[in-house]
Amino acid sequence: MLKRREAIKDVGRETSMFFVRCVVALVIVVGLMGFLIAREFKLQVIDHKKYRTQSENNRIRVQPVAPVRGLIYDQTGKLLAQNRSIFALEIVPEQVGDMEDTIERLRDFFQIPDERIEKFLEQVKFRPKFNSYAIKSNLTEEEVAIFSANQHFFPGVSVEARLERYYPYGATLVHVLGRMGAITQEELVRMDEKDLEANREVGVTRLRYAATSKIGKLGLERYYEDRLHGEVGSEKVETDVRGRIVRVLEREEPQAGQDIHLYLHLGLQQKITELMNELGARGAVVAVDPSTGGVLAMVSQPAYDPNMFTGGISSKDYKKLLTPERPLYNRAVQGTYPPASTIKPHLAFIGLKDGVITPNTRIADPGWFSLPNNDHRYRDWKRWGHGATVDVMQAIVESCDTFFYDLSVRLGINRIHEGMTRFGFGQKTGIDIVEEKIGIMPSREWKRAARGEPWYNGDTVNIGIGQGFWTVTPLQLANATAVLANDGIRYNLQLVKEFSQDNRYQSNTPVMSYHQINTGDGSWLDLVKESMKKVAEPPRGTARSAFADAEYVVAGKTGTAQVKSIAQDEEYDATKIAEEFHDNALFIGYAPFEQPKIALAVMMENAGGGGSNAAPLAREIMDYYLLEALKPEQSDELTNDEENSDGATN
Amino acid sequence: MALRTSAANTHKARSSLLWRLHIDVPLLFGLCALMGFSLLVVYSAGGESLALVEKQLVRFGAGMVVMLMLAQVSPRTLKEWAPLFFVVGIGFLLAVLFFGESSKGAQRWIDIGVRFQPSEIMKLAVPIMVAAFLADKALPPSFKHLVISLALVLTPTVLIMIQPDLGTSLLIAASGFFVIFFAGLRWKYIVSALGIAAILAPIMWYFTMEEYQKGRVLTFLNPESDPLGSGYHIIQSQIAIGSGGLYGKGWLNGTQSQLEFLPERHTDFIFAVLGEEFGLIGIIILLAIYLFVIWRGLYISLQGQDSFSRLLGAALTLTFFVYLFVNIGMVSGLLPVVGLPLPLISYGGTSIVTLMASFGILMSIQTHRRLHSA
Repeated sequence: MLKRREAIKDVGRETSMFFVRCVVALVIVVGLMGFLIAREFKLQVIDHKKYRTQSENNRIRVQPVAPVRGLIYDQTGKLLAQNRSIFALEIVPEQVGDMEDTIERLRDFFQIPDERIEKFLEQVKFRPKFNSYAIKSNLTEEEVAIFSANQHFFPGVSVEARLERYYPYGATLVHVLGRMGAITQEELVRMDEKDLEANREVGVTRLRYAATSKIGKLGLERYYEDRLHGEVGSEKVETDVRGRIVRVLEREEPQAGQDIHLYLHLGLQQKITELMNELGARGAVVAVDPSTGGVLAMVSQPAYDPNMFTGGISSKDYKKLLTPERPLYNRAVQGTYPPASTIKPHLAFIGLKDGVITPNTRIADPGWFSLPNNDHRYRDWKRWGHGATVDVMQAIVESCDTFFYDLSVRLGINRIHEGMTRFGFGQKTGIDIVEEKIGIMPSREWKRAARGEPWYNGDTVNIGIGQGFWTVTPLQLANATAVLANDGIRYNLQLVKEFSQDNRYQSNTPVMSYHQINTGDGSWLDLVKESMKKVAEPPRGTARSAFADAEYVVAGKTGTAQVKSIAQDEEYDATKIAEEFHDNALFIGYAPFEQPKIALAVMMENAGGGGSNAAPLAREIMDYYLLEALKPEQSDELTNDEENSDGATN
Repeated sequence: MALRTSAANTHKARSSLLWRLHIDVPLLFGLCALMGFSLLVVYSAGGESLALVEKQLVRFGAGMVVMLMLAQVSPRTLKEWAPLFFVVGIGFLLAVLFFGESSKGAQRWIDIGVRFQPSEIMKLAVPIMVAAFLADKALPPSFKHLVISLALVLTPTVLIMIQPDLGTSLLIAASGFFVIFFAGLRWKYIVSALGIAAILAPIMWYFTMEEYQKGRVLTFLNPESDPLGSGYHIIQSQIAIGSGGLYGKGWLNGTQSQLEFLPERHTDFIFAVLGEEFGLIGIIILLAIYLFVIWRGLYISLQGQDSFSRLLGAALTLTFFVYLFVNIGMVSGLLPVVGLPLPLISYGGTSIVTLMASFGILMSIQTHRRLHSA
């Protein structure tokens, strides 16, 4: 069978047919290869640009780089706010498969409070998934070591060093510098919108806060956020398919924020804090340089350490700050208190200026005052009165209430309101702190609006001794004191003296730098100032013991504010009332008398009488500032004076 | 005339050592060029890993050994053993269906001391069997012989298709059909077969194709429909090739592959790495080497002394072409994604050994010729 078939086989014909088939096959092969090359030609030559772009987009990412925040210095160049590297546990959401599982496992190694995780998840929800976000900050070195050993279990999680704000003087300056906090979604949107608005014409679309996670929440950090923040930079990086950065291709350096230089004197601030801590005092002290309106010290006690807030404060620690003493509360700028007798010099000036009284006006003080046709007695602090012939100087020196009851009624609320407004009461001092309160400088309009009642003469009587509806901030009080020291010029209070960037300095120029009060020929003011000088002097000055043997001449005024109203015939007795109803002790003053270098206001809550409690504190503050802090530049002069006076007594 | 000249050359070469070792020098040269190219690209695609290169070298070595061994076997012996070879292969395929190990959703592996894919055996067994069957018949084959040949081809093809392994089954079908084609299948049959295929395609789509296979075809037709899912491979490989441009980004500098945007970069998609780093120039060089190998394969087949040698040699050569055409077409976005490596370039796999075995057969055909009348 096989053989028969083979016989039919035509070898020659088969061979030539096979040859043809091979040629056909080769033609097809060459044709198809040509087709492949045509395809690659299309991809690699014709569409090359498109694919090159796509390939670049795959690997290249532009990411923002946060600028370094500006530093804050005191007037002597001491660094008050700096940036320090701290270690944080950070997560790149994009690189984490199961976020909940990862966080759960991280908690086996680290303590992370629930609320921190909630915050983190909220933050992650709205921001780019390829950025890194901190879930735990302030890692200790031990924690860094623990994580490093276990890092391979946590893809997308890493320990990163980042710059965080650090305040070397902690609680001492918290009510001046304020603090930073995590930027919220609303803040971010607001900053971004502001940014877009500002750059609309320039066409800049890169957002300033793209790489920023913290923002100034309070104090100077908040007020000067714009200047401190700096300009965002950018980085062109090559990443692999998992978004991991392989290398940096290009970098546009961010521009650091401006540095801020304060009028503030760190030594003075520390001294005041120390003194108040020794006394266990709650309250505020504001010291200003009368010739500039620069704030030399601004202390509010109690305070807290802002460094606790770096990287998020735990709710436990936060609760500790919510005590009745209210350390979070900035008494110097937000606290509003009755000014009490400290405004008597100002009232006297208004009375003299408006001609309601003259230097020779005398009244009889039986120990009380009453309005015509009314038998209510407004009592003087001195039960038996200050005598039958009290003039304005004596009234200030001894803080005679009756004289000022009488004066305020004669002036009337309208003129008091107008005059006191010129001293800055009821208005912002212009201080560079957003949180500033203005207190209440009462007027007829104010009472009608706020209370829905008409103004009564009785209201005016209380205004005469700085009580009633009138409240002021320690800042306003210090500024009103500086106005007296400065012969009627009222500066806007400022913490910041100048800004600097790359060694270029720019001074701080507030919008409204000062107001001038009409002081006539100056005699009214001189009389008031002379009276204030006598307050600190024997025989009758209410602050005479506090300033006994002072090496400089001081002008001052004490104040003791009633917190609880006392019934008609009741005697105030500190031992009988709860501490929170004890009188507030106040003192205002400036020194040296001829060339004032410091004007201050002391406000101590529930500390008792101003003369016995606030004035001694003011004395120590002034001693420190005038005799120690300023000594380097004035030492020769002072020692000469001392020698001279020694010689005279000998 | 071509025959005569080459016969004279053969006479001269006969005395050499390589000839006695049954090695065809030009073919060996082409294969070595491909292997060298492969090592270069595997090193780059594998993230500059020498370990991968070493493993690939070991496989090439094994492939060379298998090639040499098969080169010693004369076509006559091969033809004699063909039926046994084929039947054992079919047996393994059946065994895989019932006892095989599955991986990635397909049953392809069998473990008899060594773990291997029986479908690899069939890549050789099918063309050998069909060639052995048709070699003694009058050619072009009669209708009856044609039907028997088709049965020989389609039985293993269907068995492999239901594993399922579409790529390999297509290759095996192709290798069998190529034998029939070279045996002188009449053009009218070819044309009508193509016509029937066009009608059958939609029917296959609805009744026999697996979901993942349909998905691949759909993705191929419109990769952008699922850029991060199944379309990702195609999009990224086209970006890689396209961004390479005329001259390429340079060896080790392909960002698509080095930064791992390209999946399967050292195996099935290695052509994209080559295209990205060596550009169109590199691709043309690669295709030129391939063409040279194919030309040499057809040349050897033309000189084959009997029908078996000629049919087998030409079919194996053309199957080699199908391999590279399907792979490059897939990576370039011309064909749907089918799991086929780029022959002798892609890293790993039994495919290297099988391919080298087929080149061994070609060398055997070339070197076992009795002297022609000169």
